[in-house]
Amino acid sequence: MPKSKKEIIAIDSISKIYHLGNNVVKALDDVSISIYENDFISIMGPSGSGKSTLMNIIGCLDVPTKGVYKFNNELISDMNDSQLANIRNEKIGFVFQTFNLLPKLTSLQNVEVPLIYSSLGRKERLQRSEEALSIVGLSDRMTHKPNELSGGQRQRVAIARALANKPSIILADEPTGNLDSKSGVEILNFFDELHKAGNTLIIVTHEESVAKRAKRRVELFDGKIVIDE
Amino acid sequence: MNRIINYLRDAISGVLSYFGQTKLRTSLTLLGITVGVSSIIAIMTVLATFEKSYEGLVSDMKTNVFYITKDNPVEISFGNIGRGSRNKPNITWSEYEQLKRSLSLTKNISATVAEEPSERTISVGKNELKNKLTSFWGGDAAILSLNKYEIIDGRNLNQQDIDNRTRVALIGYDIKEELFPYSNPVGQTIKIDNLPFQVIGLLAPKGEMLGQSMDAMIGVPISTFLQYFSGRNWRRADIMLILESESMDTIDAATDEAVGVFRAIRKIPPGGENNFYIATNDQLMDTFGDFTGSLTLFIGLVAGISLLVAGIGIANIMLVSLTERIKEIGVRKALGARKIDIFIQFLIEAILISLLGGIIGIILGLAFGNIVAFFLGQDPVIPLNWVFYSIQICASMGIIFGLYPAIKASNLNPIDSMRYD
Repeated sequence: MPKSKKEIIAIDSISKIYHLGNNVVKALDDVSISIYENDFISIMGPSGSGKSTLMNIIGCLDVPTKGVYKFNNELISDMNDSQLANIRNEKIGFVFQTFNLLPKLTSLQNVEVPLIYSSLGRKERLQRSEEALSIVGLSDRMTHKPNELSGGQRQRVAIARALANKPSIILADEPTGNLDSKSGVEILNFFDELHKAGNTLIIVTHEESVAKRAKRRVELFDGKIVIDE
Repeated sequence: MNRIINYLRDAISGVLSYFGQTKLRTSLTLLGITVGVSSIIAIMTVLATFEKSYEGLVSDMKTNVFYITKDNPVEISFGNIGRGSRNKPNITWSEYEQLKRSLSLTKNISATVAEEPSERTISVGKNELKNKLTSFWGGDAAILSLNKYEIIDGRNLNQQDIDNRTRVALIGYDIKEELFPYSNPVGQTIKIDNLPFQVIGLLAPKGEMLGQSMDAMIGVPISTFLQYFSGRNWRRADIMLILESESMDTIDAATDEAVGVFRAIRKIPPGGENNFYIATNDQLMDTFGDFTGSLTLFIGLVAGISLLVAGIGIANIMLVSLTERIKEIGVRKALGARKIDIFIQFLIEAILISLLGGIIGIILGLAFGNIVAFFLGQDPVIPLNWVFYSIQICASMGIIFGLYPAIKASNLNPIDSMRYD
C-alpha cells in the first residue's frame, strides 16, 4: 500500500450493532480500513454483508456503535448531527443508485443544492455549479429538469452535484445499477477520468465489471472485511 | 448571513413551485386564512369609517351641553331599546317647565322631541315628498344653534310660536330642493300629514352624516308637535331636554345641580337611583367607544376562531407536504442540510403560505370594507394598525402551526428518508 500518500479516512475496529426486537444484528463487526488520497476503491459483498452500513458510516450518514473513525484527522465517531451534516456538506460527494435528484429543480439548481447549505455567496454558487456541470459535459442541459434527461444524463448531473463542493472523497453507491450498459460504461469511464484528475473515489457495487475498474478492492462478508487488495 | 439568504431564496422558490403543483390544495388552505383576515379587515375598515364620522359629529357638538333623557340616546340608536326603559317614567313637559324655573347654573334649557326617521307624509299641493324624513322634530329657538344649523332665509322659531302653538315649520334644504325647486319656500304652505303649516325658515345644507342626509328634516315648535303629533295624551309624552352651562368649566356644577333639581321634582328619596339619564357629549362619545370596543372584541373572537381553523389547515398542508417530500428531505440532509436548515426551510414555507393568504385577505378586506363604506356615504380609509396586526397574526400563525411539521421534518433520518417512496 502506498504509504507515502495522505491518509484521508482512518477507521479503527468499528462495529455497528442493531437491535431488532430481541435479536442483535452485527451489521459491522470490528472493521478497520484506511483510505488514502487518490484511492479508487470498490467495496463489494453480497446483500446483508454490511457494505451499505460501511458506506453510510464512511459517508457520515451514520455513526458506529463502537470504534474510532477519523476523517482528515477529525474524530467523526463523536460528532453530533449538525457537525456530521457539515462534514457531509464540505468533504463528501454522494452519487446514488437512484440518482436522488430533486424533480422540481433544474440541473443547475440540483447541482446548487449542497452549496445552499455551505456559506458561499450566490455568485460563487452559480459559478461553481456551472463549472461542475461543464466537467460532466452537460453545459447545454442546465435548465432541464430531471424528467427531461436520460438516465445517463441524470447520473452525470448527480456526479456534478457531488463535485460541486470540491469534496475530499466521492462516494458512489451502485452508480450504474439503474443504467443501461452503454450509459453504465460511460459513467465508469467518467469515474476513471475523475480518478486520473486526482479525486478519491469509493464505489459500492456488486457487479464484477464495475469493481474491476477500481485500483483497490475491498470485500465484505457477514460484517467483516474478508478481502482488501 | 449568506446561509439565511440562501434559505429564503430556496424556500420561496420551493413554495412557488410547490404551490404551482398543488394549486387547488394550497388555494383551499389559503382560503381559510384569506376569509379570516379579510373579515377582520373589512369590519375594521367599516368601523374606522364610522369612528371617523362619529368623531366629526361629536366635534360638531358643543362641549358645554348636556342632556336629560329617559334612556341613553346612543344605546337606543344602536337598537338596545328595552332594558329597564319600560319602568322609567317619561320626561314630561311639566317637568321641563319646573326644571326651567329652578336652575341657576344653566344658561339655557331646551326641550325637544323627534321622530328619527319619520313616516309623516309631507306635501305641497299635489306633490308629495318621495323619501322619508330623516328627522321630524319639535323644539324651540335654541335647537338650531345647538345642532349647528343655520338659517339662510326666513326666521327661527320664537317664544310666541311655542306659547301659541302656531303651525309654522323650519325646513331642511332637501325639502326645498324637492318641493320648492323654483320658488322661495318661506311664507308658503307645506302639509304635514295633511295639516297645513307655514314655512318660516329655510336651513343651510349640512350634507350627509353616517350615510343619512342631515337636510331631509322639518322642525316645528315643540308645543305644536306635542299637540298635533303625540296623540291625545301629549302631557305625558316623552321629551328630551338639552341644557347648556355657561362654559366648559362649569358643566360639572351645572350637571350636578340639574340632577339634584330633577330628583327633587321627581321626589326621589336620598340614596334612590336616578330614573332618568343624564350625560354630556363627552359621555355620549364614551358610550360609542364602549360599543366599538365590545364589537372589536366580538369580531376578534370570531376572527380568532376562523384563524385557528385556518391555522390547523396550514399545519395539515405542511404535514401532507412533509410526507410527500420525505425523500427530498433525506437527499437534502445527505447533501449537508443540518436539522436547523430543514427546520427553517419548513417554517419559512409555512410563514410564506400564511402571509400570502393574509395579504390576499387584507386586499380583499380593504376592498370590501371600503365598498360598504362607499355605499354608506363614508370616505375611504385604510385601518393601518389592523393591516399591521393581520400581518403579525399571519406570521405568528405560520410559526405556530408550522412548528410541529418543521420539527418533524428536521428530525427525519437521512438514510431511511432517502429510501422512502
